[in-house]
Amino acid sequence: MDRKLISRGLERRPAADFLRWILPWAALLAFGIYAAALCLVKGLNQTNMDNRFAFGLWIFVDLTMIALGAGAFFTGTLLYILKVRGLRAVINSAVVIGFICYSGAVAALMIDVGQPLRAWYTFWYPNVRSMLTEVTFCITCYLVVLSIEYLPVLLKNRRLKQIPSFLVFEFELHKLMYVFAGVGTFLSFFHQGSLGGLYGVLRGRPFAFREGFAVWPSTFFLFILSAAAVGPSFVLLTAWAVEKIAGRQLVHPAVFRSLGRISGMLLSVYVLAKTIDTLIWINRTSPDAGFPAWQFYAWQPFGTWILFAEIVVFGLVPVAMLLCPGVRGRKGLLVTAAALACCGVALNRFVLTVQTLSLPTLSFDGFMTYWPSWQESATFLGVIAYGVLLYSFSFRYLNLFPDERELAGEALEPRQAPVLAGRF
Amino acid sequence: MLPWNYGFHWSAGTIIFLGAFYTVLVVILSTLANALWRSWRDVRFEKAEALRWMSDFHDLPARDRSCRHELTGDVKVRKCPHAFDCRICELHPKFMARQRPESRQATPESEIFGLPFPLDRLYHRGHAWVRPEPDGTIAVGLDELGKRLIGEPDAVDLPPVGARIQANGTAWRMQKRGADFRVLAPVGGEVIVVGGQDQEWYLKVRPEDQPPDTRHLLAPHEVKPWVMRELERMQIALGARALGASLADGGVPVADIAAACPNADWDAVCGEMFLEP
Amino acid sequence: MTTAKYGMTIDLDRCTGCGACMVACAVENNVPPAPAGAGDRKGITPIRVFKVDNGRPFPEHRTVFVPVLCQQCGHETPCVSVCPQQAVDVDPATGIVGQMPERCLGCRYCMAACPYHARYFNWWDPEWPPGMERTLNPDVAPRMRGVVEKCNFCHGRLHAARLRVAAAGKREIAAADYVPACVEACPAGAIRFGDLNDSASEVALASRQESSFRLLEQLGTQPKIYYRSRREWVREIAAAPRPPAMPLGRKTRVAEERKEKVRG
Repeated sequence: MDRKLISRGLERRPAADFLRWILPWAALLAFGIYAAALCLVKGLNQTNMDNRFAFGLWIFVDLTMIALGAGAFFTGTLLYILKVRGLRAVINSAVVIGFICYSGAVAALMIDVGQPLRAWYTFWYPNVRSMLTEVTFCITCYLVVLSIEYLPVLLKNRRLKQIPSFLVFEFELHKLMYVFAGVGTFLSFFHQGSLGGLYGVLRGRPFAFREGFAVWPSTFFLFILSAAAVGPSFVLLTAWAVEKIAGRQLVHPAVFRSLGRISGMLLSVYVLAKTIDTLIWINRTSPDAGFPAWQFYAWQPFGTWILFAEIVVFGLVPVAMLLCPGVRGRKGLLVTAAALACCGVALNRFVLTVQTLSLPTLSFDGFMTYWPSWQESATFLGVIAYGVLLYSFSFRYLNLFPDERELAGEALEPRQAPVLAGRF
Repeated sequence: MLPWNYGFHWSAGTIIFLGAFYTVLVVILSTLANALWRSWRDVRFEKAEALRWMSDFHDLPARDRSCRHELTGDVKVRKCPHAFDCRICELHPKFMARQRPESRQATPESEIFGLPFPLDRLYHRGHAWVRPEPDGTIAVGLDELGKRLIGEPDAVDLPPVGARIQANGTAWRMQKRGADFRVLAPVGGEVIVVGGQDQEWYLKVRPEDQPPDTRHLLAPHEVKPWVMRELERMQIALGARALGASLADGGVPVADIAAACPNADWDAVCGEMFLEP
Repeated sequence: MTTAKYGMTIDLDRCTGCGACMVACAVENNVPPAPAGAGDRKGITPIRVFKVDNGRPFPEHRTVFVPVLCQQCGHETPCVSVCPQQAVDVDPATGIVGQMPERCLGCRYCMAACPYHARYFNWWDPEWPPGMERTLNPDVAPRMRGVVEKCNFCHGRLHAARLRVAAAGKREIAAADYVPACVEACPAGAIRFGDLNDSASEVALASRQESSFRLLEQLGTQPKIYYRSRREWVREIAAAPRPPAMPLGRKTRVAEERKEKVRG
């Protein structure tokens, strides 16, 4: 039915099947929009956030999504600037995922703030000392860059590329893509870092406060490292998930291994940096502020197991797995390692948002608990549904995986394995 | 943001921060504007056709982009970096000079796997052929493999007399059983006479330059390895979806391959063979 | 106009926990009545009295009431440096940390930054039942939904005082001209207000007493609210948070043992 919109030579499910896949996600999105509308119309009292838990599920989810969406800029850097040509196989998918993550995060943020219509005040009266100003500026610019990077993928749609002006524009834009990749790298470096800096500068929260270099606390650099490390893992994870759902091979196994190796190398640097930072915090920063570090872990359920989980279970274990070629060769183990790495980053963001706010600062205050309300959860699930829908439509009608056609042919003619440039 | 806003302080931090922001904004917008301007210029100077082919070529899988010299064995592996436009290739003359004269003078065959490939014409990798006519025009037609692939086309869209076609642009469009594709133009020029499938040629073209540049067209001794590779590619394209006798079982491509393979994704096969991804 | 540094001294030995300061503050600042669902953690209480005990069982159980309000941090004010829109600033003439609810985006970053939890978010639209609008204070603007607010030392009263003295032809306001609502309302006189720069003022004198302390002093925020108590265990609550495994009592005992050793 929509054959004319689907790229030539690519097999896709019949339109009726696709509709069956879309409908539940659309329903979830509608429900999420309803919950978000409730929050916008009635106010943020619809959430379970309060004066002590000023940041809740949404902020945690925003930070995680932005960290996972780092695959877009990092893959772009590797491909367009460092010329790792093998990643051409996943760059389109990475760009779409990045676009979904950032646009979803910005949408959630607009619901999260009390006065979304005043968002432009940050641009008009910026406070250059505040990390949040930096985040706002950078993420806005980066969303613009991502939209521009998404445009060529969109314009390569079979029907759209027949329009001469679209085709020509896509061609010229693609020639200049390295500029956008470079700008994207610059912006990503700063906003990933500033998101970490948000918590590192909080002198009033000794659990999160860190010393650093000049105005940037160590969490600035740790966030950049962790985002860059987990970006390729998430690209890998999503590509594998799409292969499973679509039921066909989309990416050469060598590319998966390459992504795993890159992720593993960066993750090892991150885990080392994080360990050093934690030791410095335990032995110097926290005691200097008058709080022995162990005190923070005396409140259950956030005991020292959370630190162990973050650094060892979700840090060292995926590092060991991803750096081992034997593990990288087995798809199941590779995907598990990538998933562990992604969970590690999510846990790290959780610790800095939810755990930080739950711990008391005044000695006569208690440990606070928080559980998101159904409106918050529904909005979050709505954002996930938006992501799945956008990706589904992109996968169906656009050429997200350039190697798909080749791999379909290779299944019949294995001796004609194409030559791949790049280092694996 | 601007110096006259409340709360603006001329400090090092402000200058660095806003300076960086404005720089990034300028870079993004100017690059976008540059792309838009270049696009407008391309459309204005009718470069859209040439760019369409460049874009299509970029999307072809690697196995379809083999250099003609890889086919003839002059080089082990080489993927064409110029979208099959050998006129601008710096290595092509070197390869031609290095070719042993015997291989060129050996009598090329006019029949390959039972398919007639007459020697009086030059072949384009898009399955069109070119034959210079005595009156200075050039006849353009569809080669035998192309003819058998299509069989009896459902429709043919030929350009009107007086239209200009560009080399590696669109010569004409054909439709068969749901497939709608264009045939690559082997030469550029003004369409003088329009033929059809009942005639030997589809178009007669007055070329832009006399004599016409045919370096990008296959030399007679290159046709056989090319056709062999095309038959391989056709095998893959017809692949698992088609049933029935294939070349591996021995035999000659039938007169109407489309009719013989009713289960094939015909749109994909034509796209593959006529180099339109 | 000389620069003032307004501060407070709160005598914890006098505070009875009556809550009159909280009520007076709410009335003065047009805090709307709490809607249904507003609990302890969603209400707006620019000044808030905490009930703190020493963690020991009867008969050693002791209680103290601690009114906590915006500490008007003087050094590296956490909320000022983090607000992305410069909606908070420290007034150099008075030392008061002022919040502009009209500029506030509602991102709540300042609430995460404040170690004293002295900032409150308007989770609801303000609504007064019919007839209650007559209780509104005309000198103070009510805040809209979705913005942060906090104690600003009854800034409306400062403005009113300045206008009065200007009308009378004077330039400086006297100490008695400007008194925040909580100070005025406290029946025990536990909260005193004044100019810390004026070394003869009550607050300046009290701040130099040995029994004076500030909350979370080791964070380096230089708050301008001085608490006073002659009870040792009360003075210790200014320090680090205590986990449930270690009640305050034990820390006090350890401190007393150390003091015994020093005294010899």
